[in-house]
Amino acid sequence: MSKKYDVIVVGAGNGGLSAAAYLAKNGKKVLVLEKHNLPGGCATSFVRGRFEFEATLHEMCQMGDKDNAGAVRKLLDWYDLDVDWVGVDEAFRTICTNKDEKYDATFPADVQGFIDKMEQEVPGSRESVTNFFELGRMVCDGVDWLAKHNNEPEGLAKIEMMIKYHDLMKLVPVPTDTMLRKLNMPDKARHMLESYWDYVCVDSTLMSFAVYAFMTYTYMTRKPFICKNRSHEISMAFDTSIRNMGGDIWYNCEVSKIDVKNNEVKGVELVDGTYIECDRVISNLMPHVVFDRMVDPNEVPEHDKRSMNARDLASSCTTVYLALDIPYEELGFRAYDTFLRSTGDNKVQYDNSVRLDTHNENCVTIINEVIPDATPEGTCFVQFARFYKEDAWNKDVVSKENYFEMKNKIADETIKQFEDYIGKPIRDHIEEIVVATPVTWARYLGTPYGNVYGYRPQTWDGMFPRVQMGHKEDYTIKGLRFCGGFGTQMDGYSQAYMSGMEQARYMLQDMKEGK
Amino acid sequence: MSKYNYDSKYLKGLGVGDFLNETKVRAKHIAEGENTIPTSIYNPNIIAKQLHPHFQLGIVKEVIDRKQAKSYVIAADKNRGFTELAYFEAGQYVSVTCEFDGKFMCRPYSICSAPKDALKEESTYTITIKKIDNGYVSDYILNNWKVGTEVTLSGPLGHFNYERLRDAKNVIALAGGSGVTPFVAMAHSIVDNEEDYNLTILYGNRTYDDILLKDELEALANKSDKIKLVHVLSDEVRDGCEHGFISADIIRKYAADDYSIFVCGPKAMYKYEQEEIKKLNLPRRRVRFELSGEYGDPTKDEKYPKDINDVTFNVRVWVRGEYKDITCKNDQTLLRAIEEAGIRVTSDCRSGMCGWCHSRLIKGDTYIPESNDGRRLADKKFGWIHPCATYPLSDIEMEVFPNC
Repeated sequence: MSKKYDVIVVGAGNGGLSAAAYLAKNGKKVLVLEKHNLPGGCATSFVRGRFEFEATLHEMCQMGDKDNAGAVRKLLDWYDLDVDWVGVDEAFRTICTNKDEKYDATFPADVQGFIDKMEQEVPGSRESVTNFFELGRMVCDGVDWLAKHNNEPEGLAKIEMMIKYHDLMKLVPVPTDTMLRKLNMPDKARHMLESYWDYVCVDSTLMSFAVYAFMTYTYMTRKPFICKNRSHEISMAFDTSIRNMGGDIWYNCEVSKIDVKNNEVKGVELVDGTYIECDRVISNLMPHVVFDRMVDPNEVPEHDKRSMNARDLASSCTTVYLALDIPYEELGFRAYDTFLRSTGDNKVQYDNSVRLDTHNENCVTIINEVIPDATPEGTCFVQFARFYKEDAWNKDVVSKENYFEMKNKIADETIKQFEDYIGKPIRDHIEEIVVATPVTWARYLGTPYGNVYGYRPQTWDGMFPRVQMGHKEDYTIKGLRFCGGFGTQMDGYSQAYMSGMEQARYMLQDMKEGK
Repeated sequence: MSKYNYDSKYLKGLGVGDFLNETKVRAKHIAEGENTIPTSIYNPNIIAKQLHPHFQLGIVKEVIDRKQAKSYVIAADKNRGFTELAYFEAGQYVSVTCEFDGKFMCRPYSICSAPKDALKEESTYTITIKKIDNGYVSDYILNNWKVGTEVTLSGPLGHFNYERLRDAKNVIALAGGSGVTPFVAMAHSIVDNEEDYNLTILYGNRTYDDILLKDELEALANKSDKIKLVHVLSDEVRDGCEHGFISADIIRKYAADDYSIFVCGPKAMYKYEQEEIKKLNLPRRRVRFELSGEYGDPTKDEKYPKDINDVTFNVRVWVRGEYKDITCKNDQTLLRAIEEAGIRVTSDCRSGMCGWCHSRLIKGDTYIPESNDGRRLADKKFGWIHPCATYPLSDIEMEVFPNC
């Protein structure tokens, strides 16, 4: 045996770590290669002064407490991750500052509580919101059932699906917005409900209703989760667990080449020239990155090229991280996750989000609401995230010469929008400020234009069709699989962990079948 | 009948056909995609590479002798493929890599030239290195670097820069010795209209003759009303200069209503200024210290174990699945021992704060001075260390991750 590793995982992001843990747990010898000095990709933290900032985690879904564990919680527990999980009791706060549609409402992470709150905000919404959640409950059961059949029910199971879940099947191709209108949900209630994911540039006129209902219902029944010590804790727990199961992880090891010959993986090469033979690779790097930079262009299959080009790249993001020297209680604004919007209309927001000068919608996250001692006494965090539909930081707007200025400008606007809403200045209390832009994500993640969500969900390219084709349809080189937030399960932490598990499971199957 | 309480009338007109066809439709979309490799490089990727290069290759273009120090003007080394050095924020540093005597070492130096110099046709940085007693790497550079020397630098690093949204409009800079270098860059950026704030540099030296970069500083102060330069001499009384150390009284004398203090200088000065600044009752957000550099001898610390004295420990260092056995003295950082063994491990700030040398402690006890423990919470939980600020208290087994 000249090959030391059964599988090499390129990239220690959420998907890569999960894939490595899954393979190691199944007795395979894995090596994870990461170009940075830390694991996690997006799931990380950074220290400034006396503060440790969360880089990206807002909340994880499909978690739940140990006795009400969702699929993701079960998976992470099965990996033996030593993480101090913390549940979030509220779903979200949504604010619209537009004078024609003013609202400010905080929804609890609880089905009945949510319905009641919406009825209070929008009288007459009860029936439609109740129907929404009942559909969500059915969809959730269907998703669980599908997961049990590895998302590809065959034979009798397929018939069972037709009988039991024909309503689910009807709801998958319907866009969220269309279905909410069909449910006669009042506009204001629909706007509030859609704000849940609009901020990350999901177009609810294109996103599958089934996915939206599934996500929302899961958050209501199992709560959103974060972890006590910032998401670096999850990544470090993965590192520990993978090593405990016999896996190796090398940091500061950038892979320059995935060696493909005659449509088969032969090994990987590091930037320093080290060649590691291996016939199976799981890439946590997007196909765009791998095929553009790391594989001999003559070896990129036609089908794989078409797969990439058929799809749109998803959103990138600017985040403003503040540490303030006032206690959270004195901020005069409470809520863990808030969508601060200038329009209630999802489509308007979505179209505005393509340009720096029209985009003025923020997600405000305050960790202290959930973890009061996340900052030293008398201080608090406030973070703002703003997602761009496309390459908003393009060359007509941003260059290396004006980049620092642009960062300041966006941060200034963002802070001002928040100050205007809460009615008092916070800029006199900024002890630390960090601004991450698409350039920052491009630097750390290497993705096209600092894209953080992979491929945009579209009616034809949503979670359900992707998952059903997850086995091996999009990318066809023997021994090469892709996983991560750009994968079949869509974007986000939980989805990336699921994607890593899914592709590792398929790889085990490939190994058995000698594929 | 149904166990779900939704009204199925809302599903009227919806069929299962689209669902059953989804994979077919998706396959069709994919088949219609273009048969080319799409680019993965967009404007943010290009800027990321320009502003945050992993490393930069330069060549010494000019050496300026300043008696007790030398300034090196470093240009991008076109012959080795570098057409520009990364634009930076005034106050940032670069980590310089040196390899000699079979050792591999990095040292941080503030860039003291104008950020705009990096944008010029011939893109340059200037770093100024002062001669110090027992300076190992600095001696090497001072004795060996000359015009034409090829050098390897990190990208611009650190957070000791003015932040418009955070800092007061008036900045009082407390500089000691070669700690003035980041402030020289800041003064340049004000003169060049890249930044807009008032910078008062209180520059502490022993005597007038010890003042580093005096002419350059004075020229900058003359070019802008926003820059004020005050020499504070501890061992000399001289007209136009303050006498003594940079005390709270001296700071008050030059301070406006609302001001931020930026401090950069030797460790002894930090100790002194921490006490003086306390007297000013400023909120923490108004006080910023540049990283202190290597911690030095920890054995006098109150928390350092009394029974450990003049011991050499064995250290097993794992790199990519192979190990090397080395030794480390109790008052030496693990990073120093690793470098001296010729292992090409990277480090940037050498102060325990930047986390670049993040390494896995497998076995053993260590001492990490509280003031230099910049680790993340989870690093502490899972036993990871920054070897640049970690001292062995027993034999050690650890894994490091040299750069590719």
